[in-house]
Amino acid sequence: MDAQDPEPPATPPLFELQGISKQFPGVKALDDVSFEIRAGETHMLLGENGAGKSTLMKILCGAYRSDAGAFLHNGEPVAIASPNDARRFGIAVIFQDFTLVPYLDIAQNIFLGREFPGRIPGTIDRRRLYREARRVLDAIGFDIDPHRPVHTLGVAQQQMVEIAKALSQDARILVMDEPTAALSDRETELLFAMIARLKAQGVAIIYISHRLAEVFALGDRITILRDGRKIASLLPSQTDADGLVKLMVGRTVDHTYARDFLPPGAPVLEVRGLAADNGIADIDLDVRAGEIVGLCGLVGSGRTEVARAIFGADRVTAGEIRLFGEPLRGLPDESARRGLAMIPENRKQQGLALGRSVRDNIVLAGLPKLFPSGLFSPGRARQVAQAMVERLRVATPSLNRAVGVLSGGNQQKVVVGKWLAASSRFFIVDEPTRGIDVGAKAEIFALLDRLVHEGAGILMISSEQTEIVHVCDRAYVMRDGRIAGELARPDLTEANIVRLGMQQ
Amino acid sequence: MSVLDQATQRPARLLARVPGVAAVLAALILAFGLASPNFISFGNIANILSQSTILLLVALPATLIILTEGLDLSVGAVVTFAGIVLASVALATGSMLAGLFAGLAVGLAFGLLNGALIASLGIPPFIATLGTLGVAQGLSLVVTDGQSIVGIPRSIELLYSTTVFNIPLPVIISALAYALVHVLLYHTRFGTYIFALGGNREALRVAGVSERRYLIAVYALGGLMAGFAALLMTARMNAAHPTAAIGMEFDAIAAVAVGGTSFERGNGWLFGTLLGVLAVGVLRNGLNLLAVPSSVQVACIGGLVIAAMLIDALRSRS
Amino acid sequence: MTEADTAPRRRFTLPPDLAQTGYRLIAAALICVALSALSDVFFTVNNLMNILRQTALLFLLASGLTLVILTAGLDLSVGANVALSACLAATVIKATGHAPLGFAAGLACGALIGVVNGILVALLRIPSFIATYGMLWILSGITYYYMAGETIHGFPPGFRQLGIGYLFGVPMPVYVMVLFLLLGTWFAQRTIWGQQIYALGANPVAAHLSGVPIKRRLVLVYTVSGAMAGLASLVILARINSAQGDIGEELTLPAIAAVLIGGTSLFGGFGTVAGTLIGALILTLVLNGMNLLQINASWQPLVTGVIVVLAVWIDTRTRKWSE
Repeated sequence: MDAQDPEPPATPPLFELQGISKQFPGVKALDDVSFEIRAGETHMLLGENGAGKSTLMKILCGAYRSDAGAFLHNGEPVAIASPNDARRFGIAVIFQDFTLVPYLDIAQNIFLGREFPGRIPGTIDRRRLYREARRVLDAIGFDIDPHRPVHTLGVAQQQMVEIAKALSQDARILVMDEPTAALSDRETELLFAMIARLKAQGVAIIYISHRLAEVFALGDRITILRDGRKIASLLPSQTDADGLVKLMVGRTVDHTYARDFLPPGAPVLEVRGLAADNGIADIDLDVRAGEIVGLCGLVGSGRTEVARAIFGADRVTAGEIRLFGEPLRGLPDESARRGLAMIPENRKQQGLALGRSVRDNIVLAGLPKLFPSGLFSPGRARQVAQAMVERLRVATPSLNRAVGVLSGGNQQKVVVGKWLAASSRFFIVDEPTRGIDVGAKAEIFALLDRLVHEGAGILMISSEQTEIVHVCDRAYVMRDGRIAGELARPDLTEANIVRLGMQQ
Repeated sequence: MSVLDQATQRPARLLARVPGVAAVLAALILAFGLASPNFISFGNIANILSQSTILLLVALPATLIILTEGLDLSVGAVVTFAGIVLASVALATGSMLAGLFAGLAVGLAFGLLNGALIASLGIPPFIATLGTLGVAQGLSLVVTDGQSIVGIPRSIELLYSTTVFNIPLPVIISALAYALVHVLLYHTRFGTYIFALGGNREALRVAGVSERRYLIAVYALGGLMAGFAALLMTARMNAAHPTAAIGMEFDAIAAVAVGGTSFERGNGWLFGTLLGVLAVGVLRNGLNLLAVPSSVQVACIGGLVIAAMLIDALRSRS
Repeated sequence: MTEADTAPRRRFTLPPDLAQTGYRLIAAALICVALSALSDVFFTVNNLMNILRQTALLFLLASGLTLVILTAGLDLSVGANVALSACLAATVIKATGHAPLGFAAGLACGALIGVVNGILVALLRIPSFIATYGMLWILSGITYYYMAGETIHGFPPGFRQLGIGYLFGVPMPVYVMVLFLLLGTWFAQRTIWGQQIYALGANPVAAHLSGVPIKRRLVLVYTVSGAMAGLASLVILARINSAQGDIGEELTLPAIAAVLIGGTSLFGGFGTVAGTLIGALILTLVLNGMNLLQINASWQPLVTGVIVVLAVWIDTRTRKWSE
């Protein structure tokens, strides 16, 4: 694809990444990516999940080493081998999980590790601490008492403190990853005002976002990554929302996703007016036998929360759930017994006991069903596990190996196998192909197709728009904890999903 | 996080501060004041304050340790052993000062040992200190052969009998200790890092601060203060018993817990510990005046701790 | 795509339980060899019976504790549980003259204490070491107050058989030990509850999302631990034929030590009841050896403490490597 670079200005950029490549086992995360950072400029970095944005930023801030490529600071070649190097060049990243200490106040957090010494050795000059904190906060236009403990602040405010912390270290390049994801409109406005102030001071900002409105409101330059490559680098004036979407998702149709669609059968899951203590509300959705229904939206829009509420992992505060026509009370052991399966987002932390054997993991959810007397028979467990391993073609040296040694794709199959062994008829699948290579992906989707052909219903959460579009019969798009809309074929397109899911 | 909190993936709710400890203290004082005529008297109050000094010396560093999401179960045994060493050296050399230094050295050594086990070897605090508890207890029994040490130079009694402007010396020592730890916690980098160790260790790592150094330091401080506590305890009893301070760590943890410091997340309140120590002191004193057997007293304090945790649990649920 | 999923797979091997047990048996055998070389008295019938009896007692207490530690919890109240249960059982036997009644009372008391612990940990979410530590003191207090320094003597001979009796030349407690070894192993490996408990300890989140009722299982393990403490108290009662306030207090630390030496991980999910038995045996051998070599008994808590720290340290190193 041609890079549409605008005319480069005369002076060298403040910082430049040239030809960066990074290989992980099984996947090339970055392939010859070049990226320019100019002082006082807000550079928007766009791309789908897995496009390589966070990998690129981690290389920039020294958390990862690149396999190939060069770094230039004001035109001079330099090396970034560690976070300390990055800090020296004034590169600061605002983390998603804040590194703030909850019961210390704002000033203490800003200057953690760099406190000002008082007269008696070992003490802190507190007056100076609060004075300096005040200065930094004013510089970003954040009007708050630096004496306030951080745990009393809302997420948006904590983010401001993180920014203040970065700036107090003389950051000249600030990387912000989806900063408005957790902010309200008003808080977003404050953030933008602060960004404007920083720009005026010559700070370069790299801003990762999925929100097209922001891209055009803030961006001075836009770079789009896709599948580890830089697709384009252009000025906002050179494109529009549709153009960006096309650049982000343009992909040849992949036969990985071949599906044999069925006419929908009896209702499997009916949800009305669901609200839960995790922030979702007004959720209505249906899944029928033979259907794979997608649940999409941006990260943080509430998809996993809906799944957890239905399964009973989080507390339901309103609404009704019916499974196969009968009301579901939202207790995990009951859900499992009634045939509801939960295949979580993070299979290692939430789906598997890594230290336990393949056999033990496969039979876990089905224990009450497989052994109604309560007596566990290792022989029968082995049979069940063996049958599952064969049916799903799980590549494992033996049933007794710890599940942690298997590859990502095979681990995922074990998780699915766990629920098949429990005779589940309704599956909630959260990011089924995360971290799985192309070959295994096809198998997973073929498996899902087989399941619905056997009469099951599936609710599939995915951040990969392509998957949703090719695999699902229908999809609900979520935004801010509520359902923004439902898309049925032929309206089920990537562009529509992206559009519904983003704030316009 | 408890296994249950982990399982349901709900963040462990922040234990709310219990300014209620002040209410509890007031309630206890009221109750005992009504129940026993001798309770509210200058002599008795002075008595409570003096008795509480030893516990305060141990509870103050315990607060810091608990703030780092740690625990020191060995304190009682260390105080006992330090007292024994102190007495033995004092007897052998005839010098109280030598004894004091020996006792402090012992306390510090155990503190450093705890710190090393926990910070350098990564052993969970309650196991590590359970182990050092065994070591200290064992040493106490072996060195004394089960016998108490008596005949310590009389000068030690002065510690309890001296008064300055009618205030007993131990009370002044308490005040000094409190002031010192207060400054340490709220006005030094050390104190800031204590909160960070409990609240978000990652933040320290990112800031390039050595967690290990400060973790060892906080346990070492605990050991040192245990040495001082040993001095006061030996002075009070004018002897060193091999089972003198058994269970003191429990009173200390009780005082800290009742005072509102959480066991997770670095949420704490030094003044609360002071109130908690007074609460425990008042409780024991009052129960003594009512001639309640010491076994029941111990049960009451256990009940106090569990009640404090229950109140916290209920609060964070509402 | 996360970094973790595409990073190189780390070697992850689970040591077969059998090998672990094997190593420990060898260690025990070596200690026996060493002790018989160092002391003439070691290999006498009397001494061996003593060892068996002591191991049996320790194991009874530690077997329930194993389940608790499998869930990454701790029960520090077992010693005090023994005291209270023993004194209650003794009182009932004396009052009614009916040994089985006292037996039931002791068991029930232990189990009830376990239920309370379970509620504190599972329902009120108090960290297990705090909850059981608090209970330890409450139980101690109650026991001391109730006994008021007195001792209860003299139990019916039928009851005493439990502690001092022999069957085919083997002390009765050993039969009880073997019984509970089999029961415990059966429960852990051959019931679905046992499987769920292992899963709970290995990964509470995954267990929860797989439909394991976490709260119920936690209450169960603490109840079992308490009930076993109740049983152990009866065995002690039968053997020493008296009950007083501090009975069994000194058993808490050795019980925990036995579990940890036996290979159960403090972090949950790994360990076996059989391992605990061998751990109890090893610890008893070491302490017995110390007695035979006339090392001051005061050293015992110290040695136990050191062994515990060592065992946990080794466990920490092994876990780190395999995680």
